[in-house]
Amino acid sequence: MHLRTNQQRRASRPTWLLMAASLFLAPTAFGVASVDDEPAKEAGTEDEEDKEEILALVGGEIHTGLGGVLRDATILVRDGKIEAFGYDVDVPEEAEVVDVSGLRVYPGLIAVGSFGLFGSSGSLDDSVDPYNQNMTLALAAGITTAVEGNTVAKLKRGHVDGLVVNSSAFESMSYSNGNPQGQLKVEADLKGAADYIRAYRAWEQEKKSNKEAKEPSKKGVDQQSLRVLRGEVRPRFNADTRTDLLEVARLAQRFGFRPIINGCREGWTVADELGRAGATAIVTPRTRRPKDESLLREGGSSIENASILYEHGVNVVVVPASRGISLGGIVGQDLLHLPVEAGFAIRGGLPELAGLRSITIEAARVLGVDYRIGSIELGKDADLIVTDGDLLHYQTFVQWAIVDGEIVYDKQAEMFFAHIRPRPETALAPAEKMDSGEEAPADAPEGDPEGDSEGDSEGDAEGDSEGDAEGGDDEKPVTDETSGDGGGEEPESSEEPESSEETAGESGD
Amino acid sequence: MSERTSTLRSLFASAAVAALSMVSATAGGNDPLGVAPAPVKPAATAKPGAEGGPGLAIRSSKILTAEWQGRSVVNNGVVLVKDGRIEAVGSAAETEIPEGYSVYDAGDDWVMPGLVELHCHVAGAFGLNDTVYLTNPGVRASSDVIAGNPLLRVGLAAGVTTALYLPGSGTNIGGQGVLLRTGFEEYERAIIRDPGSMKLAQAGNPERWMLRPNRSFMNWHTRNTFKRGIAYAKEWEAYEKDGGAKPTINPQFEIFRSLRKNECQVSTHTQIYQVALMTLTMVHDELGIPVFIDHGTFDTWRLGAEVEKREMFAIIGPRGIDVPTRGFINWSGSNPEKIQGCVAGYQEMGTTRIGFNTDSPVIPQEELQLQAAMGVRYGFDNKNMDAVRGLTIVPAMACGLGDAIGSIEVGKIADLLIITGDPADPRSHVKHVWQSGESVYDTKEEPRLW
Repeated sequence: MHLRTNQQRRASRPTWLLMAASLFLAPTAFGVASVDDEPAKEAGTEDEEDKEEILALVGGEIHTGLGGVLRDATILVRDGKIEAFGYDVDVPEEAEVVDVSGLRVYPGLIAVGSFGLFGSSGSLDDSVDPYNQNMTLALAAGITTAVEGNTVAKLKRGHVDGLVVNSSAFESMSYSNGNPQGQLKVEADLKGAADYIRAYRAWEQEKKSNKEAKEPSKKGVDQQSLRVLRGEVRPRFNADTRTDLLEVARLAQRFGFRPIINGCREGWTVADELGRAGATAIVTPRTRRPKDESLLREGGSSIENASILYEHGVNVVVVPASRGISLGGIVGQDLLHLPVEAGFAIRGGLPELAGLRSITIEAARVLGVDYRIGSIELGKDADLIVTDGDLLHYQTFVQWAIVDGEIVYDKQAEMFFAHIRPRPETALAPAEKMDSGEEAPADAPEGDPEGDSEGDSEGDAEGDSEGDAEGGDDEKPVTDETSGDGGGEEPESSEEPESSEETAGESGD
Repeated sequence: MSERTSTLRSLFASAAVAALSMVSATAGGNDPLGVAPAPVKPAATAKPGAEGGPGLAIRSSKILTAEWQGRSVVNNGVVLVKDGRIEAVGSAAETEIPEGYSVYDAGDDWVMPGLVELHCHVAGAFGLNDTVYLTNPGVRASSDVIAGNPLLRVGLAAGVTTALYLPGSGTNIGGQGVLLRTGFEEYERAIIRDPGSMKLAQAGNPERWMLRPNRSFMNWHTRNTFKRGIAYAKEWEAYEKDGGAKPTINPQFEIFRSLRKNECQVSTHTQIYQVALMTLTMVHDELGIPVFIDHGTFDTWRLGAEVEKREMFAIIGPRGIDVPTRGFINWSGSNPEKIQGCVAGYQEMGTTRIGFNTDSPVIPQEELQLQAAMGVRYGFDNKNMDAVRGLTIVPAMACGLGDAIGSIEVGKIADLLIITGDPADPRSHVKHVWQSGESVYDTKEEPRLW
């Protein structure tokens, strides 16, 4: 094994486009982790160009996002895909190795709605600013994939190609009680499509015996309805009120498709119907709206919405109310705090694992991209985040974000959060532990901030020991791993400043 | 709502109170700060813990006592509540539960003091930003209160039991704030202290006042009002001391008599270094009026050392981060140096009395804890549990109620919460709230509000 910096590793990629872009776009500060390469080095490492890109995250606590937790395990990434993970993973000589002992590895988070993360307003195929500040901040929040407009794209910092995962995230349908004419049209379209499908199947049977049988005409059949009924797409409805939700649930049950429901504010009042319809709900747990007092039934928003929906079999996806990123000072409301929003769903009773899934695999599923991203599974894209604790704890920071096997964000290499609880091995870390020698009470409440009574059983079985690790003992992440931590990381940290300077100089030219 | 109201009413009706029998456990036995609620009417059966009722014993795996200094946590403990006050707190092994006490077993949930919010705008009808004059020291938020309104009620469900309801910041002195118990629906029972504070707002919002004053004039004008108020208060002080001709009451300046006696404080809506500096140098140093930083955001943290030198309080919110920008290319507000946590900044500069506020509804009342969580996230060192103090005892001390509420100590008012874990964690929720020993929110009895 040998250790290589990201800069070197990236240098072996043919990135002429990126180079050109970086000269114009990258302010010095952003150049640090993302701009690469000098021609000389490129030449020198020519043989490496043919080699595969291999990244190994060693010694971390792997949370697959599907319930599995592997402690002190290794993930091996080859050419951007997860090749292996577990305890007996052979790390090849040429792999770039990152020691993540004492840290956790999760699948990258997915924001099913966003704006401004790609630095462009038009089509992502045509214009992306790969050094956009918001992209870096979103990666710092753990987000590796986001929906901009109706395009699912990766936050592949420093790249302008290969971002788009799905250019058609959602198929919208409107079916609201407030528009009865529109409802009739949707019903007629679905009915027409259902009739067509039935006729088509009958014809398929019939033509086996009767060559003369006539294929049913597609004329006048609504194509979107056809795709919906064939299960090719899941339509998305905006619905919040009880009546609208019931309408959608019953329509879906009548025609046999699984709706995606955006908003779903009063879903908790009709969760059984939504569960029967196989719905997925995209919710903002902190939504606040009082009940319509003119109605007798219960209604309005409820902090328990996500939890109640989940209990009734509805898949839950979480988005914050604000889908941009703001540095205006008000914190805890936007995409920079996506896990916090999931935390509020957990406050309402959603199990911890479902909370994690609500911003990873369930999000991937509604976007139709779960075959590539959303969980740590063999063969999936290596979109990973490494955190210094429980992802859903308010104090946790993303240390590295990895997209397609490439480290695109390193907390200590960026100006934003590097000074906050710096990684022990890095230059910013205090020389001496500030609280060493102080007798922090072993049972101080921040030692186990999880409130172990709740929901911990799901993802992290060992609530207690973990709680101690992440609870705010900032300077000593996990007692028995601290020593290993420092040792393994040293080479990288000592190299980093150098290469930063190099690249900074580069982009200035 | 109506059902709950009637439940509450009957609860109040049953709050047996031999009037004026509020003696007992409290230090000194009297109530100099006026923080015990006025009893409504005597009735036969008071609930356990309430005034005149039997005792209440709360058992819990963790009690965050939140004293200003000290260990501030008791594991496997018991809190005894009698007549609306804390009678005892200690480990279960050492604290005997007297006979006849009703036992509430919180199990693995935690017990902590009710939260104190010093910058609240949701306790009334929003009719409190009358920008008639540039300074309106006589205007009272108490005239606008709707006690126990739905927004306060959600805040209560998040654990906020005390709120300083403040006038807006459209003028330099918006008027007088009022300190309220959020758990009661009758104003007479909700009110803790009127005036709760005098609201001072510097720069920023008052610059939009009709004549568009700028900062130097505003400082002159504010100082002028203060000096006239102080002169008025001094007349009364002289009269009270030496007699003579009784001064004429001037409602505009009455509050300065309270301020001079530290019976209420100036709460300053302050932001930006230079502006907060005037809070320190003008109000505190030059005029000698008790004052705390409220709504202290942006780069006011740079004054942390000066705040500490004066032993002042810094109550921070609604903005949790400050983003200093570098260089001259800054027209878009981007180009940050780093992301600086506001409360972390104060702490790094040496301030020890740090609390959190929401400016509700800017940050909803029920997200007061999230302010603490974000403070910790962005660098506030919480190893000594100062985030919990910043939600409870620190703001209580800032507004002069530190001897009565804000921590679980013998003799204090029993404003208590049952919470499922770390109070700052958004995943923890409040299950039960007692205000002055009376159960005012109970998720076993009513739907969860937050």
